[in-house]
Amino acid sequence: MTTIITVTSGKGGVGKTTTSASIASGLALRGFKTAVIDFDVGLRNLDLIMGCERRVVYDFVNVIQGDANLHQVLIKDKHCDNLFVLPASQTRDKDALTEEGVEKVLKELEHQGFDYIVCDSPAGIEHGAVMALTFADEAIVVTNPEVSSVRDSDRILGIIQSKSRRAIEGREPVKEHLLVTRYSPKRAHEGEMLTYTDIQELLRIPLLGVIPESEAVLQASNQGIPAIHQKATPVADAYQDAIGRFLGEEHPLRFVEYEKPGLIKRLFGGK
Amino acid sequence: MPRRREPRPAPALELKTTRLAGIQVILNSAEHAALDTHLSTLFAATPDFFGGEAAVFECGRLPADAASPDWAWLARELKSRGLNPFAVQNASAELAAAAQQAGLLVLNDVAPAPTAAEPEPVPEPEAVPAPEPAPSATAPTRIIDKPLRSGQRVYAAGGDIVVLAAVNPGAEVIADGSIHVYAPLKGRALAGARGDTSARIFTTHLEAELVSIAGVYRTFDAAPDAAVARKPAQIRLADASQIVIEPL
Repeated sequence: MTTIITVTSGKGGVGKTTTSASIASGLALRGFKTAVIDFDVGLRNLDLIMGCERRVVYDFVNVIQGDANLHQVLIKDKHCDNLFVLPASQTRDKDALTEEGVEKVLKELEHQGFDYIVCDSPAGIEHGAVMALTFADEAIVVTNPEVSSVRDSDRILGIIQSKSRRAIEGREPVKEHLLVTRYSPKRAHEGEMLTYTDIQELLRIPLLGVIPESEAVLQASNQGIPAIHQKATPVADAYQDAIGRFLGEEHPLRFVEYEKPGLIKRLFGGK
Repeated sequence: MPRRREPRPAPALELKTTRLAGIQVILNSAEHAALDTHLSTLFAATPDFFGGEAAVFECGRLPADAASPDWAWLARELKSRGLNPFAVQNASAELAAAAQQAGLLVLNDVAPAPTAAEPEPVPEPEAVPAPEPAPSATAPTRIIDKPLRSGQRVYAAGGDIVVLAAVNPGAEVIADGSIHVYAPLKGRALAGARGDTSARIFTTHLEAELVSIAGVYRTFDAAPDAAVARKPAQIRLADASQIVIEPL
């Protein structure tokens, strides 16, 4: 059984691609055969985050249009043996994604025995984003602790509930997960940011995890190594916890409480 | 074993009585120029307010000696604005004859329109022109049990709506009757969408962006009174022009 996970948000710049890369890597690290597809045709980023941009020969649109076969397009990840990247086309636009074409590629991945297919959605609610969520079994809605991001997530949840295949065919609805990213416990504590409970109260879907704001993410992106590989950083630990919860494990929430720095910490520095 | 009887096929044609919901177009004047000007101003802001409703010309308020309006022109004008006039009521013999000529039906024995004792009041600045109240709601109540999310809109035609989950910012609940929200109401709620001024809005948690009853609306740029903000509240219309918000 292949499970299709769509990582989406409505708003741009909230961490969809970072999350797609880390969730896909985390699932692969746990032994699942995983593919991660960049649906952001025209603004390809996933290959950079995954550090495989120099190995892209063919892309998603090439398979859809039959110019290349899946085997030629899938790029094997550097860090995990059972993770494959399907890059987006940089030179086309999103209309090149047809529903039949996307379905064909997903079916083919299913035949090849993939356990998970992670779809990295583009921002917005237009064609590309709708294509990324049409075939979803589960959706990870990435939200930043600010009102515009929460509202856009709300909007995209409405679209999942009306435009996904599961909704249209009246099957069991897409399973929705909330992932709060770029969270700063200090700023939430001081009232500068929404707290994760505020967000959850409004969106009313189960919380998959809270990823703290961290410089490690930018560093990881620039190096082309998914953040989950940055060992012993809060970001990597938070993503590991989120993957555990996704697979049904129970983990207490970490990195959400603000502790006032004590005297010693203030004297001797440290973050 | 008893055989199940074949269901009898429905006859090709059946006759039943119906009460038609429609709009009364009350004529206070028969003068072409006055009607033309008022039609233009009335529909200037909301040209798509109507969606093909049936309409009747009410002539009871016209002065007894009024000349017949140009019925064919008037019908055309209303049709172009989404109303379908098909009849005149309470018309004098002379007016009725002219209306019949123009292809309109003449309805008799209809309760006359309330006489306008005072001149037409100047409409409230924030009141959208509302049609005459439609007959009371008869459609079944619509029940929504999933959160209404930003960008989603539900409309209960002809009746009430009950929402059991949150109405999030950017979502819109519209009903011809009343609206009940047993959860946070953070979006927009428009009751009495066809002009029923007795419609009300009820919620267990008032945090709406906008509420409207029969076209009279209020926004909440400034938070509502502390007595009702984020608390159970009822919203109704007083004197047909004033939104009243009360704690429940």
